Amino acid sequence: MYSDLAYLIVGLPVLAFVLCLFIGSRLPRGGGFLTVLATLGGLIISLGIFQEIYPRGIIHQSMRWFGDFNVGILIDPLALVMLLMVTFVVMLIHTYANGYMNGDPGANRYFAEAALFTASMLGLIYADNILQLFIFWELVGLCSYLLIGFWYRKPSAAAAAKKAFLTTRVGDVMFLAAIIVLYNNLASLNLTLNPGEYLLQFPVIYANLALIPPDQLTLIALGFLGGAVGKSGQFPLHVWLPDAMEGPTTVSAMIHAATMVTAGVYLVARMFPLFYAAPHGLTAVAAVGAFTALFAATMGLTAFDIKRVLAFSTVSQLGFMMAGLGVGAAVGAFSVGVSIFHLIGHSFFKALLFLCAGSVIHAVNTNDMREMGGVGKYMKWTMYTMLIGSLSLAGFPLFTGFFSKDEIIVIAYEYGVAINFLPYIFLVLAAVLTAIYTFRMWFSVFTGKERSNYGKHESPWVMLGPLVILAVFALAFGFVAQEGFYNYVGDNFGQYEEKFGVDVNFAELALIGGHEVLGEHGAPAEGEHPSAEAEEGHGAAGEGEAGGEEAEGEPWYIQILPIFIAIGGILIAALFYWDRAKKFDPSQVTGDKDPIRKMLLKGYYQHEIMTGWISEGIVYGTALICNTIDIKVVDGWLNWLSAWVMGFAGHVRKVQTGVVQNYVTALMLGIVVLVIAIAAIRLAMEVGLI
Amino acid sequence: MIPLELYILLASIMFTIGLYGLVTQKNGVKLMMCIELLLNSANINLVAFSAYQPNMNGQVFALFSIALAAAEAGVGFAILIALYRLYGTIDLDNINTMRW
Repeated sequence: MYSDLAYLIVGLPVLAFVLCLFIGSRLPRGGGFLTVLATLGGLIISLGIFQEIYPRGIIHQSMRWFGDFNVGILIDPLALVMLLMVTFVVMLIHTYANGYMNGDPGANRYFAEAALFTASMLGLIYADNILQLFIFWELVGLCSYLLIGFWYRKPSAAAAAKKAFLTTRVGDVMFLAAIIVLYNNLASLNLTLNPGEYLLQFPVIYANLALIPPDQLTLIALGFLGGAVGKSGQFPLHVWLPDAMEGPTTVSAMIHAATMVTAGVYLVARMFPLFYAAPHGLTAVAAVGAFTALFAATMGLTAFDIKRVLAFSTVSQLGFMMAGLGVGAAVGAFSVGVSIFHLIGHSFFKALLFLCAGSVIHAVNTNDMREMGGVGKYMKWTMYTMLIGSLSLAGFPLFTGFFSKDEIIVIAYEYGVAINFLPYIFLVLAAVLTAIYTFRMWFSVFTGKERSNYGKHESPWVMLGPLVILAVFALAFGFVAQEGFYNYVGDNFGQYEEKFGVDVNFAELALIGGHEVLGEHGAPAEGEHPSAEAEEGHGAAGEGEAGGEEAEGEPWYIQILPIFIAIGGILIAALFYWDRAKKFDPSQVTGDKDPIRKMLLKGYYQHEIMTGWISEGIVYGTALICNTIDIKVVDGWLNWLSAWVMGFAGHVRKVQTGVVQNYVTALMLGIVVLVIAIAAIRLAMEVGLI
Repeated sequence: MIPLELYILLASIMFTIGLYGLVTQKNGVKLMMCIELLLNSANINLVAFSAYQPNMNGQVFALFSIALAAAEAGVGFAILIALYRLYGTIDLDNINTMRW
């Protein structure tokens, strides 16, 4: 019965959006409770659906829209876990926002936009075709623009909103192009579709992947990757993410944890069979992801703004997720389970960290960590919940991040054995840096002496409550859910056979993609896939890695390396930043003049390169050429045409003399001509000429 | 009974005079009078043909035509008065501000 209400998961937030927009200003706190109730409703429906279809089952509802296109709802394991995560985390963020946004004159606008944001993300998740997904994808982009620029009177916020919008647009154009290429390819196959099947539906796409030429598949995969890179803030389109901190902290939490940025990873996961079949598709994903993970982590090391540290951390962790999907070339669809597990774990602890940061900022009234220090004395709850979040992010053993991030590192190792070690090396380095910058942040905020005079009070309970709940999840989710989760989501595509009769055969797709098919993981890797040998191989490996004991595959030192990474990183950070400058003064290691530090602080001068070279040089040059063409060619021929018409008319209008006598004469002559003509015709008829 | 040809002759003379005046005259009132001549030459034709045929249609049409001429004269003279107030003349050669 819950599955019949699936449309309400999007419908309720949309309703909240409308209500907040129009009558929110007359409700207490801008109508924020409506958004909480709407997402709570979504969460309840999602939970109901979960208990209906777990462990096997897909819900699919669809109706014709126009032509070859449809609108519909597809809830498979992948979508379901995302729905649960988004409704749950967003509900907590909305609750928190009720406290955080209290007193802001635009609170009802905030809640309206936030509700629409939620609705778009949820719609994106359970869209059953790529076109519908794209529409919600764009809506998410729009809402992020509105929310980042929420304080639009602040020039930096308006600029950040514009930057986010334009940067993601670059990716979205590629995404749209990929959809068009995909549609053309599918349309040219002249498929006979059963009633209720439409061209761009995911099951139909999965079923016909093998019929599309491989080079076209690569083109499509790269387009999708471009969209994901823009949305998920991967290199080189990550520049908007740190700037997105200009919005309220709750917006940052929403964008970085639950909604916006996960959409890119979700897209790659959703189209995983396509990426798998496309030659070099997953290689590109792995390369982008692994590089971004390390690249962003280095920038996180030097940022002073507490929210920017978290922003770079998000970029880095998204790189982990992308890399986790990318190394699926070696381990098959199992990597979807691992990557999405990290996505969900990350959303818990990153939401927690952002909300903690918001709590600190709320009290201290600055974002700059150099002005904090010793905050822990006044904000016990915030300190301990943030400690849990930080430990989780750093991958401390038995915290959520430990199971999720380190599983990605382990499958990256398998990828290394099979194909290439580079992603593994990048990810390990990134993991070390993750632990360091996370605890650099935590130590500098909460330990030591006050470095400025700031407000000293704990936040209200409407803000602390969500922190505590999120902390519980950041602490325990990984430990509780890991194995079941990997297998449930990893088996996502295996379940299409019984529901749609679509056999997503990864062995066959691997042949198209030209992957090395490994005995252990490379074969169709879902637990209950018909292929028996793959089932055994996968089952053993999955349990082995997750439980920490290894049947075969990785040597023991690979297994325990992540533990040392996390603890080592935390120790390094403690050495420098615990009670700042008591043991080691960081300034003795690097000063303000240090070129490397400066480079990191400046984000590898990417802003300078983009505005300096690309914007001034290339864009301005192109604009100049376009301007010339516009004036000389486009306007040119039009101006010539109108000038000609004017000239001609200038001659013709002389006929209108304004002298009545002339008109009468012309009239009379006309009649004479007419009479002569009629007479001539009659004469000709009488003579018999006509 | 007067032969039909004489009526037609009268009508054509009136028509020609009217047309001549229309082409040569510049005074607005004179032009209006010429137009009356044209209309009435047509009326003579209508009535004459009607009288030589057991059919009253032509005379009815002549009545319509007279009514039309009256209306036309009303509008025309009103325009001329307005023009005179504006320009102080009804010489149509001087009234050409609306042309190019």
